[in-house]
Amino acid sequence: MSASYTGIGWNRQKRIYDAVMIASIVIFLGAFYGLGRVLFRPPHDATDETLLIRGLGSCAIIMLHIVLWIGPLARLQPRLAPLLYNRRHLGVGTFVLGLCHAAFATVQFHGFGNVNPLVSLLTSNTQYGSLARFPFEVLGLAALLILFLMAATSHDFWNRNLTPRFWKSLHMCVYGAYALLVAHVSLGTLQQERSPLILATVGVSVAVTIGLHLAGARREARTDRGSEPAAGDSGPWIDAGPAADLPMDRARIVCARGGERIAVFRHAGGVSAVSNVCRHQGGPLGEGKIVDGCVTCPWHGWQYRPGDGCSPPPFKERVETYRVRIVAGRVRVNPTALAPGTPVEPAVIEEGARV
Amino acid sequence: MVAQVLLLAMGAYTGLGLIVALLFVTFGVARVDPGASGAPLLFRALIAPGCVALWPLVLFWWCSAGGAAGARVGGRGSA
Repeated sequence: MSASYTGIGWNRQKRIYDAVMIASIVIFLGAFYGLGRVLFRPPHDATDETLLIRGLGSCAIIMLHIVLWIGPLARLQPRLAPLLYNRRHLGVGTFVLGLCHAAFATVQFHGFGNVNPLVSLLTSNTQYGSLARFPFEVLGLAALLILFLMAATSHDFWNRNLTPRFWKSLHMCVYGAYALLVAHVSLGTLQQERSPLILATVGVSVAVTIGLHLAGARREARTDRGSEPAAGDSGPWIDAGPAADLPMDRARIVCARGGERIAVFRHAGGVSAVSNVCRHQGGPLGEGKIVDGCVTCPWHGWQYRPGDGCSPPPFKERVETYRVRIVAGRVRVNPTALAPGTPVEPAVIEEGARV
Repeated sequence: MVAQVLLLAMGAYTGLGLIVALLFVTFGVARVDPGASGAPLLFRALIAPGCVALWPLVLFWWCSAGGAAGARVGGRGSA
């Protein structure tokens, strides 16, 4: 993190993440080309250009699947949360591969006539009424434009200035791009391939994507349902479970009426509660941990002090805090959010409570 | 015909976007967001494509900020 913008905030994790990503792309493209040379023999020969175009496109859509799967996978298995850390670079990488695929394909199939290649792309096939001859390239172009908009606005500058809520909504367009790309690949395969293998693979991938998102949503709904009003309490306090069961420097997420999620952290002998929503990209603070005395978002490492929800100086971000108390060994949280940055005394856990 | 008009419109939009983006990342960004003051060239290069895509909005921000530095938000962060 820095007080002012940098180009790319490199650290060891980001370098490793990007190195693995680039190495995987190179290995995939090499393997795709090698296998293509072996599998596509005359009379179904594929030129080097065709293999390159297909390899880039395949790599892009596989990466898009990884981008979409990381979120729910990290929710279902917290050990996979580090994969979320640099997802933006994965998304930008997907766009770059898609752009290369589109550029090579446009040159290959539309670049050698006497018509502007882009005009040729849009006008050479206009059979929009026919499923068997649908101009699938246009779907890929539309998806590429969405991916461009997302890649171009992936820097924190845009998150900050467009506001996190709008930025998040904009980046949810990835699902629109995904739908367009699935249609692009499926229709293209129908028109150019006889083997059902690719189509079956696309179908399975879509089913896994939907299944993972449903499983992730179900897990979240279960977490939300688990937040019960505290028994025998006249006020609005909600029960956050036994204090002794809260792991040290970790949180339990509870849900207030109305859907607001609250991260209840145990730290330094006390319990504090802050909003579960990171100011950066809406990351789940409660799935992070306390590092250097601060609640640290698992997505990009933004930090907040558990006692007052303020980022440590020189940063100025603040999240809402909540009053906490411990009654008969159980943590109770008042779900009425206090103004962001409001200091709240941590509830003290009695000595002897299990860590 | 429709395709040609569409591409011409997109070309004009992109051309104007390139001009606005170049001026904005050079002179305007620090007025809109004080966190960008003194930011390195790589930062300016990374936000430039977004400025091309969203140039009407960027222009609106710039005009709204006027001459007052720091009129909109503070900032931190990276890609």
